[in-house]
Amino acid sequence: MQFRLEKRREPSKVMVYATPVAAVVLTMVVGAIIFSLIGYDGVGAVREIFLTPLTNSFKWQDLGVKAAPLIIIGVGLSISYRANVWNIGAEGQYIIGGLAATWVALATHGMTGWWILPTMFVAGMLGGAAYASIPALLKTRLNVNEILTSLMLTYASVQLIYYLVRAPWKDPMGMGFPQTRIFSEAARLPTLIPGTIVHLGVPIAIVVALIAWFIMSRSVFGYRMRVVGAAPHAARYGGFSENKTIWLALLVSGGLAGMAGMLEVAGPFQRMVPGFPTNYGFTAIIVAFLGRLNPLGVIFAGIVMAITFVGGEVAQTTIGLSSSATGVFQAMMLFFLLAGDILIRYRIKRVVPAAEVRA
Amino acid sequence: MPYRLELTGITKRFPGVLANDNVTFAVKPGEIHALLGENGAGKSTLVKMIYGIMQPDAGEIRWDGQPVVVPNPKAARKLGIGMVFQHFSLFDALTVLENIALGMDAKIPSRELEARIREIMGRYGLLLDPHRTVATLSVGERQRIEIVRALLLDPKLLIMDEPTSVLTPQEVEQLFDVLRKLAAQGCSILYISHKLHEIKALCDTATILRGGKLVDTCDPRQETSRSLAEKMIGAGLKDIVRGEGRTLGLPKLVVSRLSTVKTGHFDVPVDNVSFTVRAGEIFGIAGVAGNGQNALLDAMSGEVRGGDKDAITLDGFPLGLLDTTGRRKRGLCAVPEERNGHAAVGDFTLSDNSVLTARDRLGMVMMGLISSGAARTYTGKVIADFAVKALGPGSTAGSLSGGNLQKYIMGREILQKPSVLVVSQPTWGVDAGAAAAIHQALVDLAAAGSAIVVISQDLDELRALCDTLAVINMGRLSPARPTEEMSVEEIGLLMGGVHGATEVHDAVPA
Repeated sequence: MQFRLEKRREPSKVMVYATPVAAVVLTMVVGAIIFSLIGYDGVGAVREIFLTPLTNSFKWQDLGVKAAPLIIIGVGLSISYRANVWNIGAEGQYIIGGLAATWVALATHGMTGWWILPTMFVAGMLGGAAYASIPALLKTRLNVNEILTSLMLTYASVQLIYYLVRAPWKDPMGMGFPQTRIFSEAARLPTLIPGTIVHLGVPIAIVVALIAWFIMSRSVFGYRMRVVGAAPHAARYGGFSENKTIWLALLVSGGLAGMAGMLEVAGPFQRMVPGFPTNYGFTAIIVAFLGRLNPLGVIFAGIVMAITFVGGEVAQTTIGLSSSATGVFQAMMLFFLLAGDILIRYRIKRVVPAAEVRA
Repeated sequence: MPYRLELTGITKRFPGVLANDNVTFAVKPGEIHALLGENGAGKSTLVKMIYGIMQPDAGEIRWDGQPVVVPNPKAARKLGIGMVFQHFSLFDALTVLENIALGMDAKIPSRELEARIREIMGRYGLLLDPHRTVATLSVGERQRIEIVRALLLDPKLLIMDEPTSVLTPQEVEQLFDVLRKLAAQGCSILYISHKLHEIKALCDTATILRGGKLVDTCDPRQETSRSLAEKMIGAGLKDIVRGEGRTLGLPKLVVSRLSTVKTGHFDVPVDNVSFTVRAGEIFGIAGVAGNGQNALLDAMSGEVRGGDKDAITLDGFPLGLLDTTGRRKRGLCAVPEERNGHAAVGDFTLSDNSVLTARDRLGMVMMGLISSGAARTYTGKVIADFAVKALGPGSTAGSLSGGNLQKYIMGREILQKPSVLVVSQPTWGVDAGAAAAIHQALVDLAAAGSAIVVISQDLDELRALCDTLAVINMGRLSPARPTEEMSVEEIGLLMGGVHGATEVHDAVPA
């Protein structure tokens, strides 16, 4: 028996939004089965990973702090992916953004003033955008695939952290640990709610998503991104140059990743350490798709992914699940989502072997 | 003698459309039978069921008197049904022989195949060199490959889907000779077209479809083109109305020594093209597809820019270095041939498609934000003025039929009141009613003082519409002359250029 995919006449609008939910539910069901089969308490694992972070109010602050960078980066990627510009290197842009902010923090060490954090904020965005401009330049000038360049630059940026925290930026009082000194008060993000770890980055993430949603749905910039992605030939006819679009997409997504890097280093980390890269940039790819490349959807997708991160930590302590279990769950989610996307646009048809002609 | 093919009560339903409603007709052996109808009348669906690409929901197909089920095209070929599609499936980089060998159901040694091909070509007078690369062939020659491919199977019924839409008048005559020879030897031909004079010249019987239903089966030689057209569209036909005492104004669009760079391997660039269009003039550019029309349109619209600012001027103002947006602001609008994905975005609403080209000329953008209200209002006006069949500005472009989408696109550009409008294939694949509406709109726009350039392969269209004609061949444009001074034969020879049918073997590759 053979099967083949047949294009549907019109994708169902309902299914477009139902698929992400179905992907999450399927992940939970299949996850429970798989972890039961390999000898864990599968149902318990799913409960700990997906439900405990929601039911346990102590975990809410963790959710917010984890979701914020995912949402900010995910929003940037959703804009870029709309235009079919495949920036896979948000992790690297996030790192360079964090390093640029660190540079400002170290240069102003010991100083006070309200301007230090905004300067770090701008430096972070510029750093991320500058790093993303390398793939943009290579793509527009030499037609080099941006997927490869942006991805490979991520590994270069990780090495840059290692170098900086081991030599020029090493904390002189750090007893040889490869890390920078802790930032001054003026270079650290204020905690919003006393007694929690919720920092300024959390509301910023929501605001970024709302602004991006408005721009994408109402502005010429958003129109440009959508039309270039949907029909590049028509975009050219409409007066939107492809190269300019590639630049814009990479600068915006790189800038937002850089912003997330600044917020992370000035918020939870408060210094640059080799463990700064935490795969937010890669996870945000799943966030962007889970959110249907829609900035408002990205808010919810970011929270869902944050749940799996927080829940994964819970499951480590309560049922001894390895930390890579989180990755398994996230990957399953992306898998079901992409499979669902195919089924929205195509239906599976059984190929009947050609019958003899009755003549 | 039984009928070669008999269809009884054939019905095919798609979600929301009844494509064929209880269609019954029969084709005799050796008969050339026309299947006539507007776009969307159900001709293609019907033929696809005969050729086994689709299955009817109801009804019976009889072949030589026997009821048959045709599950797929392979089975159709086995019965003796051949088909030549409107769009060829040929590989440009392979030779004629290689292309034919690839399409065969059975494997035949290439020497034997070549002998059979030569034999068929000789028998029907199909001139073709089996070792030529397809990319170097004219459209007419490519069509001959498809015909040879179908004839290799000794078909008893040959289906021809709009075969003449891309041919020069001389090539059309040659094709008709071949089809008449085939019919004389007993092969039935089902000839799909909407060109009435061809059907009158070629066919013994015509079956007319409208809205999926069979309207009439008649002898086309007993009918006038007008009566056939009225049966086809179901209403009185409107002629183009021209204003009285029209005079042409000053030169508006001046193109001088415009050349483009060859981009793709088989791309035909524009080579040193010059012409002038006056205010109120409709300037026609005839030519067989693939002779530089696309490059010319891209160069005119600004999608591809050259380095000479004076290559294109509008009222003396140089446009050569401006991009599409800059040219539109100056008053030059263009409509490319490909509707879906080039002139319009299928996934977008009509409203959003209006933003694509009308945003600057009609003030739809304020401080970087799109006024969706203005876009909707304008789209509503286009839909109303051009009688576009759409639910409203919120319908997606992809949900419209080809003719309706073309009416919307033409309306979108014409209502912007451009001083120069360049259109390619304005009525390609558009039904007669819509084509008449588009033609009238172009005439009215010219009457209002705009200069219009129509690039088309349809000679009837150009001769009915244009004041002046030039012919493009291999990227070069012939000198322009008043339409009434040029005969069809003359235009045809210019269209053929080096691709002329009698000089096939001397043709120079592009």
